[in-house]
Amino acid sequence: MKLRLDKKDFHSFLRGLMVHYELFAPVQLGEGVSVYKKIGDPSEVALLPSNPQKPAKEVFFPQSETMFRYGKVGVQTEVTSTEKVERKRILLGPRPCDLKAVSLLDSVFAGKDYRDVYYVNKRNATTVIGMACDQPLSTCFCSSMDGGPFFREGSDLFLIDLGEAYLVEVLTEKGKAIETNEFLKEADTNDLELAREIEQKATKKAETSLSLEGIEGRLDRMVESPFWDQVGEKCIGCRICTYLCPTCHCFDIVDEDLNGKGERVRHWDSCLSSLYSQETSGHNPRPTNRERTRQRLMHKFNYFPKNVGRIACVGCGRCVLYCPADSDIRETIKEIQKFKCQSSNAK
Amino acid sequence: MNNPYLSIPMMVKKAYTETTDRMLRTLELIFQKEEDKKAFGFIPGQFCELSLFGKGEAPLGIASSPTENGSLKFTINRAGRVTTALHHIEEGEEIGVRGPLGNGYPINLFKGHNLLVVGGGFAFTTLRSLIAYLLEPQNRSGVKEVTLIYGARMPGLLLYKKELQEWSERDDMKVVVTVDVGDQNWKGKVGLVPNVLEETAPSSEDTYAVVCGPPVMIRFTLPKLKALQFPDERIYTSLERRMKCGIGKCGRCNIGHLYVCKDGPVFSLEQLNKLPREG
Amino acid sequence: MIQERLRQKAKELLESKAVDLIVGFGEGSLPLRATPIFIRNPQEVNRLIWNSFCGHNLSTYLHKLKSLKVGLVVKGCDSRSAVALLLEKRFKADQLFLIGVPCQRMVDRRRVKRAVQGEILRVSAQGDELIVEGEDFKTTLNRKDFLYPSCQVCVHRMPLRADVLLGKPVEEFSLLETHPEIEEFLGKTPEERWDYFERETGRCIRCYACREACPMCYCTECFVDSSNPQWMEKGLSPSDLEFYHIVRAYHQTGRCSGCGACERACPMEIRLTYLTQKLNEDVKELFGFETGVVGDAFAPLSTYDMGDKQEFIK
Repeated sequence: MKLRLDKKDFHSFLRGLMVHYELFAPVQLGEGVSVYKKIGDPSEVALLPSNPQKPAKEVFFPQSETMFRYGKVGVQTEVTSTEKVERKRILLGPRPCDLKAVSLLDSVFAGKDYRDVYYVNKRNATTVIGMACDQPLSTCFCSSMDGGPFFREGSDLFLIDLGEAYLVEVLTEKGKAIETNEFLKEADTNDLELAREIEQKATKKAETSLSLEGIEGRLDRMVESPFWDQVGEKCIGCRICTYLCPTCHCFDIVDEDLNGKGERVRHWDSCLSSLYSQETSGHNPRPTNRERTRQRLMHKFNYFPKNVGRIACVGCGRCVLYCPADSDIRETIKEIQKFKCQSSNAK
Repeated sequence: MNNPYLSIPMMVKKAYTETTDRMLRTLELIFQKEEDKKAFGFIPGQFCELSLFGKGEAPLGIASSPTENGSLKFTINRAGRVTTALHHIEEGEEIGVRGPLGNGYPINLFKGHNLLVVGGGFAFTTLRSLIAYLLEPQNRSGVKEVTLIYGARMPGLLLYKKELQEWSERDDMKVVVTVDVGDQNWKGKVGLVPNVLEETAPSSEDTYAVVCGPPVMIRFTLPKLKALQFPDERIYTSLERRMKCGIGKCGRCNIGHLYVCKDGPVFSLEQLNKLPREG
Repeated sequence: MIQERLRQKAKELLESKAVDLIVGFGEGSLPLRATPIFIRNPQEVNRLIWNSFCGHNLSTYLHKLKSLKVGLVVKGCDSRSAVALLLEKRFKADQLFLIGVPCQRMVDRRRVKRAVQGEILRVSAQGDELIVEGEDFKTTLNRKDFLYPSCQVCVHRMPLRADVLLGKPVEEFSLLETHPEIEEFLGKTPEERWDYFERETGRCIRCYACREACPMCYCTECFVDSSNPQWMEKGLSPSDLEFYHIVRAYHQTGRCSGCGACERACPMEIRLTYLTQKLNEDVKELFGFETGVVGDAFAPLSTYDMGDKQEFIK
C-alpha cells in the first residue's frame, strides 16, 4: 500500500499520532548535532539529511536505563522493576542502517536465551517509521554490509522524500494501524515514478567497492598479527566509535544508592575503556590499545558472525566521521582483506 | 516474561571465616520462597550473581552440591567493593541471588571414566561442589577412580578442612593435600601443586582432569598434565573474568566469540586452544 | 616548502637512529582531514604531510611511547604541551626530539561544512584560498574566516621550544585580540552564564573523547571512574555532566596550552575551549604564567612558594 503525505500536513499528522502514541524522533541540539528524543511538540522534530550522532538503538536501549528501584521495608528489600512500557510508541526517522543495526541487536537482546525484558518491551510497543536515504554520503558503506539506502528491513512504514511530500509505504501489520490517518492520501503514478527514480539514483550513489568476503576466516588467522599494533597505536581510546555505533551493545550495571534506597541502572560502556575488563585483582586481560582495538574489530567481523551469522557493522560511517584520530574503518578492512595466510602466523 | 536481571531473595543462615588470613568467608544461604527453592536446580560448576542492593553484584561459584538440601554455599574472597560488603553481612540478613548461570562441569562426559581433580587456593569452591556431588551414594558408581590433589599457600589457607578430612578417610578416592609452606602443626605434604601432581603421577588412561586455581598454578600444572599424557580434550578448567550481566549480553567477559558467563565458565583445553589468547 | 623539509629531517633522524620513530601527520582518508602517523622506516617518510588540517595535538601519544626515543612534529600549541609534560616528569628530555613547525593556524572543518550546501568531496588549499568541491558545487573560501576557535586567539604560533625549526619564524600575536566570544560571555549575568553552560554540557554523552585527546589528561584512574571514593554517577544527569566538565577544566588550569584538541574531538560539538580559554587568561593575569612558554617555570597551581599571595584568605 503506497500513500502520500504532504509536507505541509506533516506536523498535523504527527500531532494526530501523538494522541495515541509517544513519539521519538531526531531533535536538533546544535548546528550539526541531533539525537533521538521523546517529542513534546512536532515542531521539535528535525529530519536532517544526515544521520543523528547518536543512533536509533537509543530508543530501545537507552544510554542510561533504570532496571529497578529498591528500598528497605523492615528487614526485607522491596524491589520494583521498571520494565513495563505504559504507552505505545512511534520511532520516526531512522535510516535503513540504524534499523538494520536494531535487528542485529534483536539477536542479542531478544533471542532465545534470557530475553532482555527492557529491550523487548520497548521493541514490541514501538511502530517504526523509517526514512529512506536519498542522499547517501561518501562515507556511507551500507551496501558493503548487506544493506543499502533504501533497505526496508525493520520499518513498519517507510518514508521517501519526494520534495513537497513523502511517499509512505505501509509494510507491516503494525504500520497498517496508521494507514487510516486522515492526512495520508493515496499516492499517484507521478509520486511512484519519482520515488523509483530517487531510489535508483541513491542506490547507485551508495555503491562501494569495499568487499568483506572471507573476512571472518582471515581474521581467524590474524589474531597474533603485528597488524593490531598499528591499529592500536593511532587509537586514543576515546570511545566515540563505540558510543555512536548503532550495533555496539556493551553496558555496565551499577547501583545508585542513598541511605539504603536507590536504583540499579545500566549505562552504555565501551570495550575500548582501559578499565573495561580489569579484574578486581588488578589483572587486565586487555591491557593496551592493541588488545582493545583488536577486540572491537574482531567482535564486529569475527565473533558476532560466529555466534549469530551476521556481521555486526551496518556501514553507517559514524566512526569514520567522528574519530578524532581520523581512523577509517574502511581502510582497516581493506588492510585486513589484503592479509595473506602465512603458516608462521597461524596459531 | 521472566526478567533475567531480577534476583530471588535469599537469607544468610550461616556465615563463617574459612581461613586464618580472614580473606575467605563462606555464606550458607537459604531460599525465602518455596517456589524459588523448587525451581532452582543446578549442576556443579555453575555460578550465581550475588546481589547486594546499593553495592552491586559479584559472580561467585556455587560451592555446595546440588544435593545439599535446598541451601547454597558460596565462599567469597574479599577483593573489592561488593565482596567486602559480603564479608560484613550478618546471619539473618537478606541477599539477592541470580542464577544458576554458566555451563557447569560436563558430568555426563565424566561418567564411566576416572576423574582427576587438581585445585589450588580459593579456586577450589566449585570443585567442592563437583566432588561432593560425585561422592553421593547415588552418584558414586557413575565415575570410576577419583583422585584429588589440592594445595594452598599455608595450612591456615586451606578451604573446607572438614570435607577434606572426611574425603581423606574414604577408601573409594585418593586425596593428596599439600601446602607451599608448612607450619609446626602441619604433618601433611609440603610442595607446590604442580610438583605434587608430577610426584603423584596419576594415570591419564581413561581419565578426565579438572584443574582450577590461580593463573600461575594453572600455567605450571598444564605442562605436567601434558607430560602425563593427558590430551587437551580431556582437560577442563573454570575461568574467571570481570562480569556484569552474567547472561552474555553486556559484552564484557568474552574470550573470542565465547562468553565466559554463558558459554563457560567451564572450558576444555581443546576449546581454549582455538580461541584468541587473552590474559 | 615545509613539507619537504619535514620529510628530509625525518629521514635524517631515522637513518642516523637519533630517534626510534617519528610521530607526525599523514593524509586523511576524508577531505579536510589529516591523520596521525607513526613512521619507523626511513623509506616511508613521504607519507608525512603538512597542511591546514594538521590540527591534532600529537603530544597526547607520548604517554604510550615512554620507552622509545620519539621525533614529534609539533606546532606552537603542541610544543607547549610537550614542555608542560616534560616539567611534570612524564618522560626524560633526551627521549624527545621536537620537530618544530611554525603554524599557519588550522582550518575548522565543521565551519567549512556549514558554509556549503551538500557533502564536501574535495578540498585543495592554495595560499590563503580553500577550494571546496562537492558533487554539484565548487566554492572558494578564505581560510582566515574558517579557523578553529582556539586558533583564532592563538598568540604563540611558533614552537617556543624545538630541537629544530622547519620554516621561517612567524609573527606572534599579542593577547590584545581577545576571544570575542569571551568578551560576550563576560557581559552576561551569572544566570545567563549558567544557562549557556547548562545548554552546552547538556549535550555531553560522556564519551570522554575530550579527556583522551588532551595531552595533559593522563591519570591512570580518572576521577570519573573512581569507585572508592565515588565522586559521581555514570549516567547523564545534568549535574554529573556539569561536574565533570567543571572539574576537568580546573584540572587543566595552568597546564592547558589552548590547543583545542578537546573541542575538535567532541562529537557533540560542545564549545569546550571557552572554559579553558577563560581559565588560561585568568592564570596569565593572576600569576603572569602561560603554559610551556618558559621552559623551566612550573605551573602555578602545581607548586607552592612561601611568597604566594594570600589576600584571598580572609
